[in-house]
Amino acid sequence: MRAFATRLRTSRLTYLTLIAVLFFSAFPLYFSVVVASQDNSALGKVPPPVVPGANLVENVRRVFDTVPFDVALLNSLIVSSTITASVVLFSTLAGFAFAKLRFRARNAFLLIIVATMMVPTQLGVIPLYLMMIRLEWTDTLAAVIVPALVQAFGVFFMTQYLSEAVPAELIEAARIDGCATHRIFWSVVWPLARPGAAVLGMLTFLGAWNDYFWPLVVLSSPESQTVQVALSALRSGYVQDYSLSLTGTLLATVPLLVVFGLLGRQIVGGIMQGALKG
Amino acid sequence: MNLHSAGAGRPHVPPRRPRLVRGLAAILALTVGGAGLAACGSGSEPGDETIKLTINLFGDFGYQPLYEKYKELHPNVEIEERVAEYAAHHTNLAQHLATGSGAADIEAVEVGYIAQFVAQPEKFYNLLDYGAGSLESEYLPWKWQQGLSKDGKSLIGLGTDVGGMAMCYRTDKFAEAGLPTARDEVSALWPTWDDYIEVGKQYVAKVSDSKFFDSSGNMFRAIVGQAPVGVYDTNDNIVVGTNPDIKRAWDTTVRAIEAGLSAKIAAWTPEWNTGFAQGSFATIVCPAWMTAYIEAQAPDAAGKWDIAQVPGGAGNMGGSHLVLPKQGKHPEVAADLVKFLLSPENQIAVFKEKGNFPSLPKLYEDPAILDFSKPFFNNAPMGKIFAEAAVALKPQYEGPRAGDVMNTIGQGLGRIEQGQQSPADAWQQVLSDVQKLT
Amino acid sequence: MTATQTEVPTPVRRQRPSPRPRSLLYRLDLHASPYLYIAPFFVLFATFGLFPLAYTAWVSLHDWALLKDEHPFIGLANYRELLADDYFWNALGNTISILILSTVPQLLLALGLAHLLNSRLRGQTFFRLGMLLPNVTSVVAVAVIFSQLFGRDFGLINWILGQLGVGRIDWQAGTATSHIAISVMIMWRWTGYNALIYLAAMQSVPRDLYESATIDGASSLRQLTQITIPMIRPTIIFTVLISTIYGLQIFAEPQLFGGGGPSGITGGTDRQFQTLALYLYEHGFRGGFEFGYASAVAWVMFVVIVIAAAVNFLLIRRIRSSS
Repeated sequence: MRAFATRLRTSRLTYLTLIAVLFFSAFPLYFSVVVASQDNSALGKVPPPVVPGANLVENVRRVFDTVPFDVALLNSLIVSSTITASVVLFSTLAGFAFAKLRFRARNAFLLIIVATMMVPTQLGVIPLYLMMIRLEWTDTLAAVIVPALVQAFGVFFMTQYLSEAVPAELIEAARIDGCATHRIFWSVVWPLARPGAAVLGMLTFLGAWNDYFWPLVVLSSPESQTVQVALSALRSGYVQDYSLSLTGTLLATVPLLVVFGLLGRQIVGGIMQGALKG
Repeated sequence: MNLHSAGAGRPHVPPRRPRLVRGLAAILALTVGGAGLAACGSGSEPGDETIKLTINLFGDFGYQPLYEKYKELHPNVEIEERVAEYAAHHTNLAQHLATGSGAADIEAVEVGYIAQFVAQPEKFYNLLDYGAGSLESEYLPWKWQQGLSKDGKSLIGLGTDVGGMAMCYRTDKFAEAGLPTARDEVSALWPTWDDYIEVGKQYVAKVSDSKFFDSSGNMFRAIVGQAPVGVYDTNDNIVVGTNPDIKRAWDTTVRAIEAGLSAKIAAWTPEWNTGFAQGSFATIVCPAWMTAYIEAQAPDAAGKWDIAQVPGGAGNMGGSHLVLPKQGKHPEVAADLVKFLLSPENQIAVFKEKGNFPSLPKLYEDPAILDFSKPFFNNAPMGKIFAEAAVALKPQYEGPRAGDVMNTIGQGLGRIEQGQQSPADAWQQVLSDVQKLT
Repeated sequence: MTATQTEVPTPVRRQRPSPRPRSLLYRLDLHASPYLYIAPFFVLFATFGLFPLAYTAWVSLHDWALLKDEHPFIGLANYRELLADDYFWNALGNTISILILSTVPQLLLALGLAHLLNSRLRGQTFFRLGMLLPNVTSVVAVAVIFSQLFGRDFGLINWILGQLGVGRIDWQAGTATSHIAISVMIMWRWTGYNALIYLAAMQSVPRDLYESATIDGASSLRQLTQITIPMIRPTIIFTVLISTIYGLQIFAEPQLFGGGGPSGITGGTDRQFQTLALYLYEHGFRGGFEFGYASAVAWVMFVVIVIAAAVNFLLIRRIRSSS
């Protein structure tokens, strides 16, 4: 019957579109590989090259010679993982409260959170730096981790996600059964929150990994630098050696891809599990 | 709304929670541990004499081999160099100076920013207190001046290199246009900028796929660099509107634009890089430090570039100083290192590696400099050319925001190039924009 | 007491809950626990989020340059100067124009993309994670690629236009052209991000709704507009708000488009694509390092963003509820 056929088959047009989208999404990354595996003059060529060259190993070696890349990678890993775990946890907790619990000043608090996202934060660097001096955290990973342990975006995101994904009846019924709030959270809400939490986790990890501005100000020594700060050394001078800096950024991207690759199955699985629930 | 109607497949809630909590606890423990370790690691062990110096640069100054040599002489000194991108480096320095913490023991400051930092002598160690006074006679006087505070009592920065200008040109492109290619003949073609424009007109008439120079901004900078007074007078007033040399530089550049000589490519952009490789422009004002860049950009053009005199006489473009922020804990050692890095032999070593031209005039007679040349530039006697340029140039006072003023004027020229404004309107806007910078 | 017991509330149970012992603990839990749940967030937030904000508000009332030690109080003078500056209004106009050009098509595309990704696909993980590749790609690579695309002399797009006989466009020089190019950059980077957010939201839409619709003969597009969109309406509102808030603070894309140097900060030689964030940066982190003036810019931006977010919120809310 036609009904079964359309349900099971995804049209060829869909595949074509998705492949095209994937191509455009991936092409710049591919092009960085091409440039990274050549030398700086490659960019000057017209038309630009589209096939990787042989220089990649040499450039990688230069990167590791120029900046303490392994330390920086480890630092970024520690920073990004901690921030992600914390943001996801606290955002889900707070999001649950805002979405499903009733309390006075709920709206006021929520509005404050959203409002703070509307002020550009670049300038916050200075007062934050003053605080770090007071706390004696400058040049430590704590300076980069602690201010980022909670993020307004995370709370806002989980609030609206949970307001959709957790039906009110479920909570009411649990209350009727005499469940305390924390039980409701862990047993009812948390499993339902997983797809949203997974997406938030990925986006947060990405953001923390790519953060450049604040770590640049507060982390100075090579032992504490995160990967983006270390990479800025490759972009330096009057000149830009693009093949070198692209090699560096590629190396910085590889862990991201690995993390996404490993977690990807579970994340997508989480998304799929949410789908089955319906 | 029948959300529960699916019946089978209830969300069975397996006990994931303990595992998750354990995982989170582990990560938190790792953080605390990591922060603790980091905090531990940054202090120095009691009782040992190792002195750790940090030096912040905005590029590769070629100092790495010099640090090795210094360590041989002073084994207890460890040197850590950190490099950041040009603009971010200077912004960071300003922020660290303002907040009182985070600056390195030694910082590099480029000429575009030096006046701003020198205006704050209380934030830096006075190098005269550390024996730098004896070096005064060795330096080019104007380079020495740039590092002095207004009252002349504090030396904030010691000069690294100077940017004496020359004109780099493509011999093959000149040949295409029927122009002479030998560097002395080329230098003779353009004693003044007006002659330069004439030659340019001949060039673009003959060669269709290329222009004469990269951007009007560079040309303007070069002409201004040759004037006795620039955009500031010595009282830190902006004199763009009243200084006839500035207006003359503007008018000359506008004439060049109107003659169609500009390739309209902004410097330091990817298009500029491509322009080198593609021969989009036949000449470019090149200070010494730019030669390394040209070489890296267009290796296929090796041997096709040569160096001639710049029209209009000598002028300066670029160069840096090393400064010692007062936040540093070891000023004597840092000052010693600075003097070492900027010693005559080391300035020669850096020139050979990186092309940064020394700021010590007595070196200009040193055969190591005079005989220096590179095959890339057709074996032009680079040392000799830049030495002559450096000696001949007249000092120009650079006020606190000279870099910004020049950028603003450069943008005005850019607007003319892109056809967004007429020259007259662009000049008016430049004047009013520059007023805002006071 | 497990969750499984709560899933199927029988009619009998639903009608009137039998009176439970209103123990103190229970009431405490009901009324006080929400505060506990938001407490960790707010404590950290107040320290590291709110304090810097309050500080910049305070600084905006002073003549505060980073390199100077004197910071005299000048009241609202910064704000007055700012509102009288033509370049501020220019930046505002540019920002709004780029916002509209980049956000509207982007969210529509993201919606469509999420819908496509929501179907049963072979290689799902691959396609879904591929959406984040633009966010993973480094800023340097983006700058390089897009200058290769939009370059005036040697860019790919101009080459194609040349082949088609249309003639080259100086993308950077024009206002409209630069806005379009920057919007393309922004869309490239963020469409997948938003698509993933929509996709996560779509997971809470029960499959049986789609099944019955398919049986009824509804096309894929109709299913999208009639089922999906109304059901993920809160998420759509969320993305519109977030896109508005962040879109008005766009910084990296126009700066890269301008080549990153001084021309990148001023948004072109004629400030044709300088956004508010670039204007703020120009005053706060370049030139005179005027922290006070830049703080005033930040707070004026806040007002602008509040207004824009409110307007968009009302618009979207109305449209969606009528569908």
